[in-house]
Amino acid sequence: MKFILNYIRKDEWSPYVAGVLLGLVGIAAVWASNSLLGASGAFENIAGMIGKAVAPAAFDNMYFNFIMPPGITVGVMLVIGIFFGGMIGAATSGTLKWGKKDAANSDEQWKRIFGAQTWKRWLIAFFGAIVLEFAAGIAGGCTSGLAISGGMLLAPAAFLFITGMFVGGIPTALLIYGKRF
Amino acid sequence: MTNFIITLVLGVFFGFSLNKAGLTKYNKIINVYRFTDMTVLKFMMTALVVSMSGLYALRGLGLITFPNVPATYIVGNLVGGVIFGFGMALSGYCPGTAASGAGEGKLDYLVPGLLGFLVGAVIYGLSYDKVFPQIAAIANYGNTTMPDLWNLSPFLTVLLFALMSLFLFYMIDRAGWQRKERE
Repeated sequence: MKFILNYIRKDEWSPYVAGVLLGLVGIAAVWASNSLLGASGAFENIAGMIGKAVAPAAFDNMYFNFIMPPGITVGVMLVIGIFFGGMIGAATSGTLKWGKKDAANSDEQWKRIFGAQTWKRWLIAFFGAIVLEFAAGIAGGCTSGLAISGGMLLAPAAFLFITGMFVGGIPTALLIYGKRF
Repeated sequence: MTNFIITLVLGVFFGFSLNKAGLTKYNKIINVYRFTDMTVLKFMMTALVVSMSGLYALRGLGLITFPNVPATYIVGNLVGGVIFGFGMALSGYCPGTAASGAGEGKLDYLVPGLLGFLVGAVIYGLSYDKVFPQIAAIANYGNTTMPDLWNLSPFLTVLLFALMSLFLFYMIDRAGWQRKERE
């Protein structure tokens, strides 16, 4: 028991142990609610909600009416859960960043490569996030909704997507890191 | 309502596992593309082996049916993945890990992450009619799985994937398939 408690308090688990936990969550999702995990859809639901409130005419299209109807969906609940899961995880290891000085830009490797300026981190992360959400739409899901959820059902889509992730990610990393790759 | 609560609890465990695996760190994400730290791959493949074994076993026993399988349309899945990899290497997160990292209190996950996802969702949603149907129409195999598509035994497919994963884990951990970080 003490061993388990000590392990939970660790900042970083073996990826194999954490992976087993995620695998069980994937099974539980299908078993308990006949649904798949997926994070990217939630942002589309919320974007639709905001869009319909601000510019109803522009957001009156097929996508926001039928494909991804706006609202607080099950997907939004999942993302809220993920948020608190991350919070609990960091709390158990005493690594919460709320109110800490480096909360805005905390990764040492990032600072080594790009420098310590927060605006740079935020600008690049913002651009990256736009790209991620758009790409998830094209692909039919993100890392959770397609790679994990599709992969566990053995959908070819998931493995095409994972291949694509490396095809896109490796040259980008090469470009950013150059000689430091 | 029950579904909302179940999903919320699932999300908590999901976010917790992302945090404990270290996936809410920029360096873990970028380093998988540099082959200097394969944590992300080990984490994902372990999760896949566990979940596919469990799900195919449970379906074999008649205890569950599969939900709607994510659709396979080769060009869209692949090209979407390439663009996704580009975005991931820039920001160092994906929608799921960003939500978990935001919960930890990382403001570079919470603010530019949330705003970026919303902007991306608007761009995608407003251009949907002109972009998606055309891409999804190319080489579309529908909501299919590999065993169904190629007439394979599900049991053997899962076994093969598990063995392949174990081989890969062995090569990464013991046979130097992970590059050393330069000083």
